[in-house]
Amino acid sequence: MYHNSTQKKHWTFSGKEELQRLRAQANSRCRARVRGTGQAHLVEIFNVEPHEELIICKYYEKKLVDFCNAFKPSMPKSVLGTACMYFKRFYLNNSVMEHRPRIIMLTCAFLACKVDEFNVSSKQFVGNLPEDSDAQDKILEQILEYELLLIQQLNFHLIVHNPYRPFEGYLIDLKTRYPLLDNPEMLRKSADDFLSRVALTDACLLFTPSVIALTAILSSASRAGISMESYLMECLSLKDSREIMARLADGMKRLKIMVSKYEFARPEDVALIEKKLEKCHASEVPAIANTKKRKGYEDDDYISKKPKTEEEWSDEDLCSN
Amino acid sequence: MEQYSLLGRIGEGAHGIVFKAKHIETGEAVALKKVALRKLEEGIPNQALREIKALREIEDNPYVVKLRDMFPHGTGFVLVFEYMLSDLSEVIRNSDQPLTEAQVKGYMMMLLKGVKFCHENSIMHRDLKPANLLISSTGILKIADFGLARVFSNDHGRLYSHQVATRWYRAPELLYGARKYHEGVDLWAVGCIFGELLNGSPLFPGENDIEQLCCVLRTLGTPNAKTWPEITELPDYNKISFKEHRPLPPERIVPDTSPEALQLLMRFLVYPSGHRIRAAEALLHPYFFLEPLPAHHSELPIPQRGGRRNRQLQREFHIEQPVSDSLLDPGLLSDYLQGL
Repeated sequence: MYHNSTQKKHWTFSGKEELQRLRAQANSRCRARVRGTGQAHLVEIFNVEPHEELIICKYYEKKLVDFCNAFKPSMPKSVLGTACMYFKRFYLNNSVMEHRPRIIMLTCAFLACKVDEFNVSSKQFVGNLPEDSDAQDKILEQILEYELLLIQQLNFHLIVHNPYRPFEGYLIDLKTRYPLLDNPEMLRKSADDFLSRVALTDACLLFTPSVIALTAILSSASRAGISMESYLMECLSLKDSREIMARLADGMKRLKIMVSKYEFARPEDVALIEKKLEKCHASEVPAIANTKKRKGYEDDDYISKKPKTEEEWSDEDLCSN
Repeated sequence: MEQYSLLGRIGEGAHGIVFKAKHIETGEAVALKKVALRKLEEGIPNQALREIKALREIEDNPYVVKLRDMFPHGTGFVLVFEYMLSDLSEVIRNSDQPLTEAQVKGYMMMLLKGVKFCHENSIMHRDLKPANLLISSTGILKIADFGLARVFSNDHGRLYSHQVATRWYRAPELLYGARKYHEGVDLWAVGCIFGELLNGSPLFPGENDIEQLCCVLRTLGTPNAKTWPEITELPDYNKISFKEHRPLPPERIVPDTSPEALQLLMRFLVYPSGHRIRAAEALLHPYFFLEPLPAHHSELPIPQRGGRRNRQLQREFHIEQPVSDSLLDPGLLSDYLQGL
């Protein structure tokens, strides 16, 4: 249930300003760490601004959606939604200067498949990448390297509530309780479009899944020239609760504006920032660029494929006191 | 890892070793379960993800064991749980006298509250059994092992029987090979645990899967399409056929028990899984509201892990003493209350 979920408690924010603040903090944290090394040339390299980070994130969010939509075997919408949410949550508290967005994006998709029980093997997963099979193996290694870091950055909150289920719920409700509408299924196509555009925005960090779903229904209906006012008033019994109705209307309006105002990242901007980022990722910052290690894990010997039958902990680890 | 000092080994099992440790900062005792990543190519195993998923989402319930933290260690990661003294299987095994009716009610109430909470959060446990019901140092029962973590006892002889034990709580639809099932499987297990608490021994101790089914059928009668309409659709229905058994009368399944207890028990042990009484509804059953009332958790026995020191503990906790003795006379309070 959404109302007692970690999504509501920890990952639904008050407004755009809060998101902006968190992202700016992540940016300055990263740069402060680099300054802390005392190396002037590094400080110069790590100079990506928060608004530039946002452009890069937008670009990779779009790539993530495209990757999921083209995935074979075809991927359920909820996996896509979960992957997008993971990516958003990750870069709310992390900087693209520190972690390469392409690997994070793929790790998000990989983890989302597992969490949503969409069972594909890791080979199958990287088989969806355009690279040749050697490069795919390398990428898989990187994904596995980042998996635990991602989970930690998500604060182990893995369950994501997407708008797709409430959307189906509303359709069923319309079919059973709202005879004024002949064929609710006709709303599906344009509502689907709306939801795929929502997936690119920050809506999932600001609105409840059911508000997003309802907005999709209403905006699809208004496109078709159908008023759903009486559905809200009668069927959802909002007639007598003006305050809730006003808040809902306000939320839906903000969401619609957010979706209609959404702009794709401009390729020329992306290319420029990527150049800067390349330098960041190529430079060895102590305690940041930790490329040889599996992220989040402690030991280097992790990658060794020797079968390990015994855990490293033994009775020797026990303190006797 | 630097935050904890290891104190001792609690047990070990298929998924790694479980250690008792102390959180240095707070001094609290915790159980550390190490999850090794063996199948490197697939990353973090699904079972571990399921457990993290479930336990993170239902952080706060007194009857579900708390996942306090999680951190990477060596080639895997470590799950940090609150430390629990014992489990229900030890309580059942170690109690020299059968549990009193009040005590059984106390355990059932906590179990049902935990199960209700899980089900309300759309979490199906799928492996409820006494060994997975941990007992805290204050006697509170908490559901543990959400798909991965296990508590093991030191004795190797016991380990084997624990593994067998899982079968004893398996719902009949699972024994018939059902692939689709729902939280009814947990409710069946609750019924089996209930019966075991009442009897002091497992209700359906089958030696293998076929015998398990036999065990159930001998007690509840051979099901047919009339008593269990879905049975004909179960994968293994046509593979096995059993002799006609008539159901035993409930009082022969669990002798010397109150009629309410029997009535509630038989609401869990029902073939069609959808007809089993829900945890929330069971909590409202007259069983819990008739004398003797459910025991308070401080009146419940807490055996030491692997030890047999419970008798000494029982004296410490005055478990025979009715809870009413420890209550204050309301008359003494009335003066203070008037000012409010």
